[in-house]
Amino acid sequence: MVSSFCWSCLTRLPTPRPLLSAPATIPRAASAAASFHTSTARAFPMPTKKSKSQDSGPKYRQAKSARMKKKKPTDKPRPPPIGERRALRKRIVLSNPNALEVEGMQDIDADTMVDSHLHGNVLGLPVTMLDQLRAVQAFKPKQGWSIFRRPGTVVRRETLEMGRLFDRISGDGADKGKVVKKIVTGPKGSGKTVHMLQAMAMAFTKKWVVFSVPDAQELTLAHTGYAPLSDEQPNLYVQKDSTAALLSRTAIANQAVLKDLRVSQNHPALKMPIKEGTTLEDLTKIGIRDPALAWPVFQALWTELSATSPAAGFEKNFKPRPPMLVTVDGLAHWMKNSNYLNMESKPIHAHDLVFVRHFLSLLKSGSQNPTLPNGGLLLYATSASNCPSLPTFEVALKQLEARQAGVNPASAEFPQPKAYSNPDPRVLDIANVSKPASAKEGPVELQTLGGLSREEARGFLEYFARSGLLRERISDEMVSEKWTLAGNGVIGELEKLGKRLRVAAQ
Amino acid sequence: MPPRLNLFTARAAVFRPASSNQSVSRRSITSLLNANRSSAASSSANGPKSSLPQTRYSSSDSKGKGDAAKVPEEPLPHVSEEAAEVANIMNKKCDGSAPASPELEQGTPISEILKRDTDAQKYAPKVLKDQGKGPSGSRSFSTSTRRTQADLQRDQQMEPSAAMVASMISQVNQQAAELNPGLKFPAPESLPRTENFRTRYDTLLDQFTKQLMRDGKLATAQRNMSLILDHLRTTSPPQVHAKRRLLGNPSTPQLPMNPVLYLTLIVDSVAPVIKLRQQKGIAGGGASVPVPFALNERQRRRQAIRWIIDASDKRRDSSLAQRVANELVAVAEGRSGVWERREHTHKMGVAGRANVGLTARK
Repeated sequence: MVSSFCWSCLTRLPTPRPLLSAPATIPRAASAAASFHTSTARAFPMPTKKSKSQDSGPKYRQAKSARMKKKKPTDKPRPPPIGERRALRKRIVLSNPNALEVEGMQDIDADTMVDSHLHGNVLGLPVTMLDQLRAVQAFKPKQGWSIFRRPGTVVRRETLEMGRLFDRISGDGADKGKVVKKIVTGPKGSGKTVHMLQAMAMAFTKKWVVFSVPDAQELTLAHTGYAPLSDEQPNLYVQKDSTAALLSRTAIANQAVLKDLRVSQNHPALKMPIKEGTTLEDLTKIGIRDPALAWPVFQALWTELSATSPAAGFEKNFKPRPPMLVTVDGLAHWMKNSNYLNMESKPIHAHDLVFVRHFLSLLKSGSQNPTLPNGGLLLYATSASNCPSLPTFEVALKQLEARQAGVNPASAEFPQPKAYSNPDPRVLDIANVSKPASAKEGPVELQTLGGLSREEARGFLEYFARSGLLRERISDEMVSEKWTLAGNGVIGELEKLGKRLRVAAQ
Repeated sequence: MPPRLNLFTARAAVFRPASSNQSVSRRSITSLLNANRSSAASSSANGPKSSLPQTRYSSSDSKGKGDAAKVPEEPLPHVSEEAAEVANIMNKKCDGSAPASPELEQGTPISEILKRDTDAQKYAPKVLKDQGKGPSGSRSFSTSTRRTQADLQRDQQMEPSAAMVASMISQVNQQAAELNPGLKFPAPESLPRTENFRTRYDTLLDQFTKQLMRDGKLATAQRNMSLILDHLRTTSPPQVHAKRRLLGNPSTPQLPMNPVLYLTLIVDSVAPVIKLRQQKGIAGGGASVPVPFALNERQRRRQAIRWIIDASDKRRDSSLAQRVANELVAVAEGRSGVWERREHTHKMGVAGRANVGLTARK
């Protein structure tokens, strides 16, 4: 019943009163209008047309529900075979037959690597050396080797300095057998990895032994097997497959050197008889063949290569051991917990992996002998593009830099980790360099690579132009422009600019 | 007002002596005349019209001293010179060798003809004769149009030695022209289109990259594009198909070292010239007939790139860049099915040629 009040103002609406009130009770059936004909219509209803949809009812044993059209699976091309994509990703191409041969390009050899006239030029890598460099994985897939006729590297100031260093350590001067340790840092694309590649090329030239860890991350990524070292040392872990891979790299790359050196020490840890006169190459192959023996074999090989004199009974075939080059790329991954778990499912620190521990211990000064008694060079590079965030490691590098600049560690200017930042003491220990006991050994240095100078950039761009890749006149202005665009000559950026083909106006 | 730069080329300089030996310019003549007559005109009192400029002159004397330091303007040139100059600016091309209208280029000023031709001098209209003699009338009012206050002041300043100042100005202009006006370094001959960062990539490269793009990921498309270009750069030069040659018949061994040109040639070679449109209402009876219509360059390339990417989807290589790059090489060597699509389109276009120009019946 409708209220007689107005909804909005609650005033009573003037409703007209019905003069005659309807009778209160009217039977419901009577109020509905009666149809004129009742009986016949109900008795004979009109025949309704049969609808077609109702006609085709479900037949015997047929589903009544609506049929959903099934989508036909489009035949997708099968995925490529396993490993193909990875192979494509990791493929390293070192030659482009379409590129022009750069006339008059010299190769790295004993003379050219110290020649200061070649500063800013591009030196080719000798073709015979490419297999060795490939074996130690000195080339990385993302580097642009594939667009040139043959690989070459630019001689920058640091390269010349390193060449002289190699010359001094190998030579007969006062620096003979010196140990130099460097941690190479620098912004992204500044040529740290190529700097190490140049070092390896020089080492192969000088007949050094090269140990290379091309990617430090692979050892902490939990991609290879690991096991406790022994019952006595359950907290140290050995990665036998990685060690076997290292031995394999070393054996292939240094075959020429190792096959001339013979065993000169006793190796009780090997628990197998070593015939007298076994070459070091054969010794290495034992570890490659049987990864279970890889770690003891690696230790034996290291002992042999760092021997200065033969043990008793091995005097016959002893030859003085060559200096060693050790390179590690992506050092920061060794400064944190690895992805491996111990028995208690706690992460294992990277320093507890014997492989990593061995190479990091080389950064420390030896007690009386140098860490590399026959001399050598340690080059450990950080990576700017694949680098975990490690505040402690950053502080450690800053401390190294401060020490090098002569800041007193006790002074207030000496960089310290932030308070309450919970720094990793084992990482900070890297920077805690004591004065080496031996005069032949230098402390760890920090080498920061920056951009190229303009002259070097010019030589680099000329290399592009002479290879037929850069179709522009190399003028001072052009070089200056590219140098500036490349963030003051960062070589990785320069390479991108040199590669980018600019088409004339359209 | 800054000093006018000397815009005349050697051709235009022909007109110069004619005007300069007549007088410095019309304006300077009149102003000189006015200045000479200033006292006489004011005393003759010809009326308020003529006396107004003179009173302005005298009243603005004190103000004009402030502007003395300003470099006076070069006198306005002769009408025909002005026209030549305008034509020069309007029709000028980059190399400056564009012709003006022939009457300006080849015509000779009448004053010059009159000077060397005595007959013509004799029968010349009176106006021209008078002009040759120079103004001789004794009109007491100025016929020059009124100019802005500042110009009048400046004119007064340069009155004493208008010719001398004009020569000084031309000298300065010459020096300025020698010293690359306004530029510290020599101006570039022409700025390539690719120097602008918005259009830094080649037109076709840009178009191809954008068509490679999926889900709006331009950076990924660009990375793929660079992989494709590297592939073109490193694969061996294409084996030429006898019938399906690349556009312009380039020397194939040099193609890989210019991958952008290589890519452009590949795309342009398989680009269709026409497209077919199914149009209803021409033939009647509700049937639709194919009507070919021409495509412009960008549309042609778009179609070709579309075909190439479609064809590459059927390849078995693992990465998109590899698929497209292989398809491109197949096109260059005439092996690709894209060629057949192009030929088919052209064949259909020829068949539907009769339908061009028919209009729909209403």
